[in-house]
Amino acid sequence: MSTDTVTIAVRRSAHGPSAGQRIAERWSALWPSVTLFAAVLIAWEAIVVIFDISSFIIAKPSEIVMETIASWDLLMEASWVTTQEIVYGFVLSILLGVGLALLVVRFKWLDRALYPLIVLFQVVPKVALAPIFILWFGYGLTPKLWLIVVIAFFPITLNMIVGLKSFDPDLQLLTKSVGSSRSQFLAKVQFPTSLPYLMAGLRIAITLCVIGAVVAEFSGASSGLGYLIQFASTQLDTPLMFAALVVISVLGLVLYYAIFWLELLVARFYPHVRTTQVQ
Amino acid sequence: MTASGIFAEGIDMTFTRNRMTHHVLSAVDVDIAPGGFVSLLGPSGCGKSTLLKILAGLQDPTAGTVLIGGTPVARAVAEGQIGLVQQKPALLPWKTALENAAFLIEMTGDRATKRTAKERAAQALELVGLRGAENKLPHELSGGMAQRVSIARALALDPSILFMDEPFGALDAITRDQMNEALYDIWTRTQKTVVFVTHSIPEAVFLSQTVHVMNANPGRISLSVDIDLPGPRSTTSAQFLEYERVLHEELDRNVEEARISA
Repeated sequence: MSTDTVTIAVRRSAHGPSAGQRIAERWSALWPSVTLFAAVLIAWEAIVVIFDISSFIIAKPSEIVMETIASWDLLMEASWVTTQEIVYGFVLSILLGVGLALLVVRFKWLDRALYPLIVLFQVVPKVALAPIFILWFGYGLTPKLWLIVVIAFFPITLNMIVGLKSFDPDLQLLTKSVGSSRSQFLAKVQFPTSLPYLMAGLRIAITLCVIGAVVAEFSGASSGLGYLIQFASTQLDTPLMFAALVVISVLGLVLYYAIFWLELLVARFYPHVRTTQVQ
Repeated sequence: MTASGIFAEGIDMTFTRNRMTHHVLSAVDVDIAPGGFVSLLGPSGCGKSTLLKILAGLQDPTAGTVLIGGTPVARAVAEGQIGLVQQKPALLPWKTALENAAFLIEMTGDRATKRTAKERAAQALELVGLRGAENKLPHELSGGMAQRVSIARALALDPSILFMDEPFGALDAITRDQMNEALYDIWTRTQKTVVFVTHSIPEAVFLSQTVHVMNANPGRISLSVDIDLPGPRSTTSAQFLEYERVLHEELDRNVEEARISA
């Protein structure tokens, strides 16, 4: 059997922007903030040099960079301690926050009994509790976790309660028509419905966890980034203070993006959890 | 499940709000044969949705009894005899059409039933004309398709009675006509008993064996009309229009009465 050779012309249509175009697009969205940031750093450096401000008062950006490199091991050691406090504290805050919300929504009497107390508790300046926790639990991890949880659980609980109550009443009637229980409704309808609200609460909570950890370390600690800042301040080591501050900020940013990533993960199973764009 | 009849007697419903007692339903009797299609037609506020909820065991009347296939309605609910379709589809946004159709079985059924939930849901989707849309999410469905999923969700339960509370009230006129034809088709094929609440006269005449026209303050049945037309019904035949006229007159009278008493 003979086969004829046929020549055909195919032309693949272009599939969206190329990698280069995408980078260019990213850059055009980012350059204003990048430029501004660079300008601020340059101005900062210039002002300190021109007015000959002592590095006891303010460190130049270049000094901060040098200090960060010089004290890298010290900073990383402190970061590790603080990161652990934040992550453990965050997980405990989620457990307490979600647990409380579920109880309040499931049991009407608990709603009436507990909800006003939770709100009342929220107006207590939590930072002022740090010395008390240190008095009770010493200088280790425990008082830090207490302070973090006390600061961070509230937005989780509040968002979760709102989310759990935002179900469609028609769905409640539907599940009633097949004789299913309130707990089933809570698990199969209310809980998934509340996920976008929970995610919003987690984003607020993670930044509060960072604050809680640093404040707790200020009040009494022997390690961690907050402790390092206090220590540097007693030594009048301003560059180290700033270096620690930069590291805390970066840590906060990384953790914030971790929540963003978590949202994307949850949205794969629950598409109604629409992740709002973080730039 | 074979279709059951409904027998309700002396249904009375009152509630008190702001120290005012509202008489929502007064001495309503309903007798629906197994496999029948009965519409409750009436102006807003005549208590037709409340009556539907009472017949479906979703609300307790102040007085009166409801029997489904001879047993108290609460037991019928527990046995999964009730299929409910409401005005809004109320689909879960994170579940596909198939998962939504299977959802109520998973909420209620025993283990054996749960194992077949997806299968039954797929059959129900086919019955409502949604083959091929199984994996679509609710936001990808049109209003008519979403409502078809909610009907499939009720049918997947294989209930003995389908309760429909203005199921097509939120749809546009063209989709509504299509849905009426689809529902007529489903009813003749499944032989389910259907209780249908509507405020559309043509819809009631097109679908029902019996139409109960309701009056407000207090809610009661003022006229019952048996629609004695073979199906599928032509909406432009002289008899169809005559049924519409009779129902229209009765409705107008009831609305006028409500206006005077209010």
